[in-house]
Amino acid sequence: MEETPKQQYSNREKNDIFNLEFLPHINSMYNFAFRLTLDRDDAKDLVQDTYLKAYRFIESFQKGTNAKAWLFRILKNSFINDYRKKTKEPSKVDYQEVEAYYNSEEVDRQITPDLRVESLKDMIGDEISNALNSLDVDFRTVIILCDLEGFKYEEMAKILDIPIGTVRSRLHRARNLLKEKLSAYAKLMGYKNTEL
Amino acid sequence: MTNRNNPFLLANGKKPTCMEMLQLILDGEANHEQHEYFRSHMDQCMPCFKTYSLDMTIKELLKEKCCKDTVPAELIEQIKLQISQNTPS
Ligand SMILES: [Zn+2]
Repeated sequence: MEETPKQQYSNREKNDIFNLEFLPHINSMYNFAFRLTLDRDDAKDLVQDTYLKAYRFIESFQKGTNAKAWLFRILKNSFINDYRKKTKEPSKVDYQEVEAYYNSEEVDRQITPDLRVESLKDMIGDEISNALNSLDVDFRTVIILCDLEGFKYEEMAKILDIPIGTVRSRLHRARNLLKEKLSAYAKLMGYKNTEL
Repeated sequence: MTNRNNPFLLANGKKPTCMEMLQLILDGEANHEQHEYFRSHMDQCMPCFKTYSLDMTIKELLKEKCCKDTVPAELIEQIKLQISQNTPS
């Protein structure tokens, strides 16, 4: 990910890296692409573009280092450059506001009073997935990277080109937004259940 | 309260808030010591216990419900084909 000196690989080595280090991540990559674009065809194109770029830039990749983070970074950049313009999603978040929120001492604010573990367990359909998809793309992204893919702060900072402090505050805010969405779903489900 | 040193103590010696401790746990950044400490902290802190249960449930549900997509089989072949066509042998 850092500016590493260019590697020299033979065609055979290139293919080995591609097949053994890059391709095993393709399902995660496709899932990431789909969650970003929310469109299966766009997701396919984005994954394809990313892999072709990865092959083209393979000499910037150091064998045995974190291929997954490297690939996610390329995918994220391709998304911003090529797709974000297409989808007219308004996605500029006021990060100063986010920082302020994070630094506030309102600990109790994190508890969404009407959302309970039991009602979450009742969400057996697409509620969780829809709630995630409905978040602003910047918030959606950190949840995907952290909760679905298990990336560390440091890796996320590199993938997203933002400081670790911003990763933390964005994650914190994203979790709260997600809880708000889920508690709205839970309320709807509650109404339905009492009707029955 | 336990007498053990708080392993969440910040570099500047400041005591972390419940929210800060919980976030490190949720975000997968806590080490073993911090997990242990937080576990016993939850025995005495109901808000942390409740929020932790809720947030961990969401995290687990996300993993369970949002990772099911697998890449269309033909895509891998397409990518390989494109690369072989562009690689001088
Ligand atoms: Zn607490």
